[in-house]
Amino acid sequence: MSVFSPAAVIAAPQVFEVKTLASRAATALPGSLLESALYVLLAVVWIVALLALTGLALIYLERKIAGHFQCRLGPMRVGPHGIFQTVADTIKLLVKEDFVPDGADKVLHVVAPFLALTATILLLVILPLSPILQAADMNIGVVYVTAISGFGVMGILLGGWSSNNKWSMIGAMRAGAQIISYEISATLALLVVVLFAGTLRLSGIVQSQADGWWIWRAHGVGVVAFVIYVIASTAEINRTPFDIPEGESELAAGFHTEYSGIRFAFFFLAEFINMFLVAGFAATFFWGGWMPFHVGGLDGFNSVMDLVPAGAWFAAKTSALVFLVMWFRWTFPRLRVDQMMRLEWKILLPVGFVNLFAAALVVLYGLYFFPGT
Amino acid sequence: MSEGAVETILFYAIAAMSLFFAIATVTARRLLRAAVALMFVLVLSAGFYVMLAAEFLAGVQVLVYVGGIVVVIVFVIMLTSSVDLLEERPPLLRKALGALAAIGFFGTTAAVYLTTDFGAAADAAPPAESARAIGAALLDYGPHGYVVPFEVISLLLLAALVGGIAVARRSPPPSQPLTSGGDLPGEVSFTPPKRQNDPEGGASHA
Repeated sequence: MSVFSPAAVIAAPQVFEVKTLASRAATALPGSLLESALYVLLAVVWIVALLALTGLALIYLERKIAGHFQCRLGPMRVGPHGIFQTVADTIKLLVKEDFVPDGADKVLHVVAPFLALTATILLLVILPLSPILQAADMNIGVVYVTAISGFGVMGILLGGWSSNNKWSMIGAMRAGAQIISYEISATLALLVVVLFAGTLRLSGIVQSQADGWWIWRAHGVGVVAFVIYVIASTAEINRTPFDIPEGESELAAGFHTEYSGIRFAFFFLAEFINMFLVAGFAATFFWGGWMPFHVGGLDGFNSVMDLVPAGAWFAAKTSALVFLVMWFRWTFPRLRVDQMMRLEWKILLPVGFVNLFAAALVVLYGLYFFPGT
Repeated sequence: MSEGAVETILFYAIAAMSLFFAIATVTARRLLRAAVALMFVLVLSAGFYVMLAAEFLAGVQVLVYVGGIVVVIVFVIMLTSSVDLLEERPPLLRKALGALAAIGFFGTTAAVYLTTDFGAAADAAPPAESARAIGAALLDYGPHGYVVPFEVISLLLLAALVGGIAVARRSPPPSQPLTSGGDLPGEVSFTPPKRQNDPEGGASHA
């Protein structure tokens, strides 16, 4: 393929070696306990920083984007272009009175926001941001992602029920029905990628896209799976047009009506980080994650693409997808409950099954681009 | 500190928490709290699977039991009871019978574990990619394959699925035909077909 570029002669495709923080800690353990503990500490600091900073940035961006979509300016007063608005709001939320309603189930009311945030943190742990920026990598990656997403619904269900308020309760029931329905379609879409990559490990899935991202390499099935995944996971995180669980015109604020102060902030933060996670996982599974844009065989082109660091690729893809999800919110009206159920069970699910079958055929006969490598 | 010590500490920590939540499951007087405690028991048993290097099993445990079964249990409780409702304390006779059954079951289980020799399992090394090994074994029809039980279970699940729909589906009274709310294009109303061998329905129409 040196026809395309003379650089192909010198530049072999860059090989990415994945080193997660957990594996570094495990390697260091026999030698020095201190070094291992430092890596674990680094991982914890990294996850907490990621959680806090991404939350701050996304909430600011959401408000700015909402403003511009509606021909407004969005927050402008606190700091230049209002960049400290979220910081001010966070301080306000933290000093606000944090109360538990009188008739509530107090234990569960306190525990519920922690469950929601725990599920989100557990997912951040496995998200591969670059070959060296991933806290842990498991050989059951995709199963882990699906399992923890199902775990997250418990926080919402418990929060709504323990508030002892009919709006919270109806919101929680809707959220539960919605999340466990759309989980099926999201999983079917992920299985397509598992079929192509032949592994459940997230870093392995990213590395399997070294010759091209699955969205275009797998012909049509990759595109269909990507669209199903984005729709289903938008529903799973209760974003508009699937914000039926907290539809403010019907249910006050749904499952978090009775929450205030820091525990409301937990639900809110979990919701925004979940949006980041959905965008990050969609980028990882379908757009190659941190893998630069490669075309199998065009080594010169690929090595030019490698000049952009892997983390920047991930950031760019994830930002684009986050913007897409925010764009949904300010474009589509909210679905009705029955429309939401019909979309899942009568449209997405059958399409997902047919697509999975088609993907199996494509893999079986090696019909996708660059099957040899 | 050796690796064995870390594992032992982890094991006893998980075991103690499991016991705590298991006792909470059966003693909680609010049904939903019992369900939440049950969820923690199931998550902690996934922790045991991870310690046994069966990560795939742990993932499936959380996926099926927490994401599926506990969520359905919580749903049922949410539909049928409220926060203020407390379970009644059982009468003394029921308590005594329950204790007797528990002691009997504990004795039987303990006897089985104490008299069985588990030597064969101790030296079996777990496969590196457990998901791949499980998948291959499930679809293998050779001497070490499980394709027949796998297919039988899938048939059983399908029967349960169809049965669940049959039980849950309401047959509307003849005066109220089943509609989809009228927002499917071209749909006015849908009258369910009359069943042929329905003695009651036939009698009422005759």
